[in-house]
Amino acid sequence: MRGSPRATGTMAMLSTAALLGLTACSGGGGGDDSGPLEVWSRSAPDPAKTYEKVFAAFTEKTGVKVDYKPVMEFDQQLQTRAGSKDLPDVLINDSGSLGNYQSQGLLTPIEPGDIKGNEDIADSDWKGSVGVDGKTYGIPFSRQAFGTFVNKEWREKLGKDVPETWADLEELATAFAKDDPDGNGKDDTYGMVVPGSTENGYLGWWASSYLWQGGGDIVADTGDGTFESAVASPENEKTVEWIRTQFCTKGNVQPGALTATTSNAPFFPEGTAGIYLTGPYVMAEYDKKLGKEKYEVIPTPAGPGGATTLAEGENIYFGAGSGKEADKKQLAEFLISPEGQEIAMTGTSQPVVRLPVNTGLDAAEVRKDDRWKVFQDSYENDAKAFPSAINFTPVRQGLAEGLNAVMADCDSDIPAALDELDTAINDELESQDVLK
Amino acid sequence: MTVPARSRAAEGAGAPAGPPAAPAGGRARPAFLRGRSWLPWLFLAPGLLLATVFKFYPMVEGFRLSLFEVQPFLGNIWVGLDNYATVLTDPRFQSAIGHTVILAVGQTAGGLIVGFALALLLEGQARSLWFLRTAVFLPVVTALAVVGEIWRLLYFPTEGGFLNSLLGAVGVGPMPFLDSPDSALWSVMAVGIWVLGPYNMVIILAGLTGVDRNLYEAAAVDGASIGQRLLHITLPALRPALAIVLTLSAIRGLRIFTEVYVLTGGGPSGSTEVWMTRVFSLGFERNDIGVASAASVLLLIATMLLTLGVQYATRRKAAS
Repeated sequence: MRGSPRATGTMAMLSTAALLGLTACSGGGGGDDSGPLEVWSRSAPDPAKTYEKVFAAFTEKTGVKVDYKPVMEFDQQLQTRAGSKDLPDVLINDSGSLGNYQSQGLLTPIEPGDIKGNEDIADSDWKGSVGVDGKTYGIPFSRQAFGTFVNKEWREKLGKDVPETWADLEELATAFAKDDPDGNGKDDTYGMVVPGSTENGYLGWWASSYLWQGGGDIVADTGDGTFESAVASPENEKTVEWIRTQFCTKGNVQPGALTATTSNAPFFPEGTAGIYLTGPYVMAEYDKKLGKEKYEVIPTPAGPGGATTLAEGENIYFGAGSGKEADKKQLAEFLISPEGQEIAMTGTSQPVVRLPVNTGLDAAEVRKDDRWKVFQDSYENDAKAFPSAINFTPVRQGLAEGLNAVMADCDSDIPAALDELDTAINDELESQDVLK
Repeated sequence: MTVPARSRAAEGAGAPAGPPAAPAGGRARPAFLRGRSWLPWLFLAPGLLLATVFKFYPMVEGFRLSLFEVQPFLGNIWVGLDNYATVLTDPRFQSAIGHTVILAVGQTAGGLIVGFALALLLEGQARSLWFLRTAVFLPVVTALAVVGEIWRLLYFPTEGGFLNSLLGAVGVGPMPFLDSPDSALWSVMAVGIWVLGPYNMVIILAGLTGVDRNLYEAAAVDGASIGQRLLHITLPALRPALAIVLTLSAIRGLRIFTEVYVLTGGGPSGSTEVWMTRVFSLGFERNDIGVASAASVLLLIATMLLTLGVQYATRRKAAS
């Protein structure tokens, strides 16, 4: 079956025309003061549903329409929009992205005093939203601290107490690995789950809490918007050695930890490893998979320098050059109000506010779940965030790479490795023009 | 001693190994094409347009960006060849080049040997072979990310891991596989060969169908051993197929990304970091698009040189 030459020619012309039409299409520009607010968040479909509910309530209350887009590849997509000089009006993303976005000129500065309800947000949270130039660039929206998850069933079966120090934690990890807590007669259980991959800086993200608990630091704020590396310290040497002991004691850390990310290390919910230092957002999943009664969230066992854990969170950012100032301000005010925060904390789909930034609210009370108390206590008393004024991502990446190399070799020279890491971090800070 | 002479004859007659012959002039073109010289271009237009929009334009843009410090919102800053200097002097890139070359050479050689062996084993018309060939080909049609996740499970570094339980049965192991800087690169290479072998098999199988059966019979009559037949009949006849296999494998080896990213993310201790994982983490994790573009351009140049090299070598061999 061959078509006539003329028909084929027409087809070719038509398809060419269609293609030309397709490629000629391009997105319409924003940046004007009319139309709905374009809001982006880095969210999977499930938390996106919660955001939709929040924005629906906002529109109902104020009449301001919101064009909401949950974006998974947030930073890549944002770069594309930056290239066309047409940024979304409001961005909701990690508080740690502040320095990165600010250095690229993507954000509009904010005057906290102009935001209604700003006094309900803790001063420490506002301080964490200041850029290297001293101006505020983000409005805190959600916060969280890490907590230690322990398989309660195993711990009680082996007759162990809740660990309170590193030594207790280590002993518990070894017991979980050696004493067959699941009672199946096989050597197939492990102590701690460690996402130890260098990918996305996972190991640095996990290890930071322990470095602080050991009394050390990663990057020190020297004032005047400058920073310097603080990794080469005797405290960090001891901490890194302690972490390496866990890696080099068979079973204390799950197998394959050096290349594991959070997504390919499901050992805790699967009931094959019993200790995991992570954020509260995993609870919804673990309640379903492992069972609420089988695990517990404990105050983090203290190291020689205390029980500090990593604090993270999400901020509300205003995209540069987008206009609609009044609407943006109104949205931010709603998002930090008790009403907005409560909608974002509850509901059947995944909550998008973990710990409320509004000091009038209590996470455990709003959710009627006492486990949140542990996270809230930890956040208020003993949590530390990565410095958000600088672009910390490369520093975290470097930290992960440096530590990963130490953990891969049980005879590695730790002081030398930390010195090398120190130089690398200072080089990075210098390239960002924020080195003291 | 008649075998070599015969094989040379085979080269000229049976296999299309020499420089491409002039197109047969006798075939008449359809009438509608002769009068209108623009019509072929019209047919090509959709493809060319797609290639321009999705291939050539991004390529030129990538080259342009490699000369800038890229800041999409604030405006790019011209830095000349600085990005290239950064790439070439960065010790992490240097070790990534080393790993990439080891992987490319190892996978190309391994894939060639496995592909050749599979092709020889599975050549034929029987229905059972057809089924086997399909089964063997499966790794090629499976998404690489899935392959990576499955191999991560197979490589699980305790007695309970699948491969280690097999090794344990014969009293070896457990091996750390991906978990140790000493064995991670080789483990990644093995996965690459597992995928590449069947792919090469198909190309070589196609080449094998072009081998004149009479030559085998004649060689057998002359008393040539299996090894001699393989060396003097099969291999020379397969030269064009092997050239394709080599070129494709080498390119594939240089731009290896998914397997490494899914299996190890470049670790442990950077022992499996390759060119493309480094480009990815610079471009998308650190937002350093300029340096990432420079590294990509260097990879493109390396790939082009390698392809031309393979082409030149095989042509010269064929001509001699």
